[in-house]
Amino acid sequence: MTEQKAEKPKRELPLSRQLVNKQTEDVYASAWAAKEKGESIGWSTAIFPQELCETFDVPVLYPENNAASISARHFGNQFIEHAEGEMKYPINICSYARLNMGMADMMKNGKFEGVEPAMPLPTFLCLANNSCTQLMKWYENLSENLSIPIFFVDCLFNYNEEEPDAYKNKYVRSQIENNIAAMEKFFNKKFDWNRFLEVQRISQVNRKLFNEIVALNTRMPAPLDGFDLFNYMSCLVICRGKESTTEILKQLKKEVEEHIANGTSTFRGTEEYRVHWEGIACWPNLGFNLKTLRKYGVNAVMNGYVTAWDVAYEPGDLNGMAKAYQCSSTNSFSTPSIMDMRSKSMKKFACDGMLCHVNRSCKLMSFHIFTGRDIIEARNKIPIVNFDGDQSDTRVFSEAQFENRLQGLVEVMKENKGGK
Amino acid sequence: MSLTDILEQFAYIANNPNAILKKYIEEGKDVIGCFPIYTPKPIIDAAGAVPMGLWGGRITPTFAGKYSPVFTCSIMRSCLELGMTGRYDGLKAVIMPILCDTFRGMSSSWRAGVTDIPLIALVHPQNRTDLGAQDFLAQEYLSVKLRLEKILNREITDESLHESIKKYNYQNALVMKFSKLALNHLDVIKPLVRHYILKSAQFISVDEHIRLMENLIEELEKLPEHVWSGKRAYFIGITAEPDELLQLFDKYNIAIVGDNLAQESRQFRTDYEICETPFWSLSSQWMHIEGCSTVHDENADMLEKFIIKEAKECAADSVVDCLMRFCDVEEYDYPDIAKCCEEEGLYCLCLEIDQSSEDNGQTLTKIQSYSEL
Repeated sequence: MTEQKAEKPKRELPLSRQLVNKQTEDVYASAWAAKEKGESIGWSTAIFPQELCETFDVPVLYPENNAASISARHFGNQFIEHAEGEMKYPINICSYARLNMGMADMMKNGKFEGVEPAMPLPTFLCLANNSCTQLMKWYENLSENLSIPIFFVDCLFNYNEEEPDAYKNKYVRSQIENNIAAMEKFFNKKFDWNRFLEVQRISQVNRKLFNEIVALNTRMPAPLDGFDLFNYMSCLVICRGKESTTEILKQLKKEVEEHIANGTSTFRGTEEYRVHWEGIACWPNLGFNLKTLRKYGVNAVMNGYVTAWDVAYEPGDLNGMAKAYQCSSTNSFSTPSIMDMRSKSMKKFACDGMLCHVNRSCKLMSFHIFTGRDIIEARNKIPIVNFDGDQSDTRVFSEAQFENRLQGLVEVMKENKGGK
Repeated sequence: MSLTDILEQFAYIANNPNAILKKYIEEGKDVIGCFPIYTPKPIIDAAGAVPMGLWGGRITPTFAGKYSPVFTCSIMRSCLELGMTGRYDGLKAVIMPILCDTFRGMSSSWRAGVTDIPLIALVHPQNRTDLGAQDFLAQEYLSVKLRLEKILNREITDESLHESIKKYNYQNALVMKFSKLALNHLDVIKPLVRHYILKSAQFISVDEHIRLMENLIEELEKLPEHVWSGKRAYFIGITAEPDELLQLFDKYNIAIVGDNLAQESRQFRTDYEICETPFWSLSSQWMHIEGCSTVHDENADMLEKFIIKEAKECAADSVVDCLMRFCDVEEYDYPDIAKCCEEEGLYCLCLEIDQSSEDNGQTLTKIQSYSEL
């Protein structure tokens, strides 16, 4: 006779998380409703100027965010296998792209079976290459396979550490303006510049609120398990210009401040060490990573990924908006620029170490880790360890390697704290 | 100069870039390294310097691993290794067009690992249908000129730029003429010979390459036409290397009748328009490039259509995709290319290229299978 284990009661999610889930459901529902009515639906890269479609009030979904959700729920492999098998995509390209292109093809050919969250197929694409060049290739392929147009904002890589030259901003601004004109034709709607200003204003309120919440984690011990920040990213990725996000972030801020007032934290256990997590999460392995970090008393209090949507500009300033989209993502900067930000952040958050995800899918983030290591070691004098992983492809990550590398990091952090 | 002598010269140049670099330096010439694929070479020529292509080499990098992940394409990894180990010493600067994510990373890796050779990076506008794109690129090329002037400590005049632009257009015309002419002499212009002729342009001045090409064309025109009875392949990809790969094609009686290789024909296919200002001329070339994985085109199927059209024009019976391992821009395009070839009745052969790998077993089997069809 086998003894049955009693199921652990599920923890009730904080109100802010419940609101995030509801918001995400609503966004998907409005896209499906548009499909029912035969209206336009967009798929967009994560840091495209969302202000445009938000102003046009056209539903947009975000394949990177969707791929992350599907991977975290362990549903991604079937789509990746379809992309590599039937579609013949090489294994070396980004796993988000493989997952999404595989899924789109299966949807198109009626082979898609109820995996949530399910996106309706789009009628147009929004592409900004500030996160990487692979996005451009990914969207070219979607455009060809689905026979739909791309609205493209080429955001230019900042290879130097200086502010972008005026002629670069001019080109990015020109594209935003020309995309507005092209969208007016495509949606057969006039662009409402007053509404645009309002969306810009809301977007700025939201990004500031998120920054304030992230900054609260500088407290020692931190009120949040750093991994919790991943759960709120969707607010900024898919709803940065919506007032519902303002409500969620206000609620979250309230909850975090309550933790501070009560001396509590969402980090379960004792925060022995504070680290900076570099890179995208290993979505299929999120649970294991979280448990293992807790096991060693390590709170990844901060990560650079969640700040990628800090697109800061003055509402009404189109030049400023163009520059902000050119300078938003980790991957739009040179390594010295990005490591300068990381170094300052790690000092502010009192990090004892840096844990770097060498993400097989994200070449540039991996380059930053390799080339940036010397910069951080020299400036912050903290230990750094790398581990191999992937944002969606489950074949790359090794639990044993992750724990082993974390143990090594903990040993050095312990020694640096005088063996305590 | 006999045809044999000319072909030997091309072979020597293609195989000995380091010796040629040293020769130029000994002669007191300034040499500027050019990363693949599109660098504004007329700016370098107009400065009185020699542009020299950086295409890595057949090495197994060890030091480059410090600044680049293992899933970096072998060309970039070996370039970094050669830079870090002093093989590129003597270059006054390198110019790097940021055409893919590897270049984004490499721009910082180079500066960290090769501290004594300054980097001049540039970005090309990918949204080429936007009205601001060419204006941006003209400004970006002007910025390259200013940075180069500072390094070389000399002025680059508009007159010299106009002259250099004309020279590069003339070189394009010669290479295109040669490519057509070669179809009548596939018994002489064997795969490796063709590769050397086109690759050699990367390592010598445009004037020297023009002279050699003129001599070559003159000699080829004297030869009787040859009717080729073997198979005919159209090559695509970044590079068709190593030499052993091309020798296998020769061994199995397969000719290369045309190519869309980044190292070869793609370098010569698009002219600079002749405009009032040199920077508008220089930027015009990028605006007209067709059929390249690194260049976004509003027509999503442009690349496949281009390849099929070219392959058919030179009566190819196959498309050989020399797919550079870890070259994501090319890897994204492979499935649609393969599908289109199949639909158009062209055999599509995909060969994985990796400069650091010596294993040709799988390639041999694939080429053998194709030859037996």
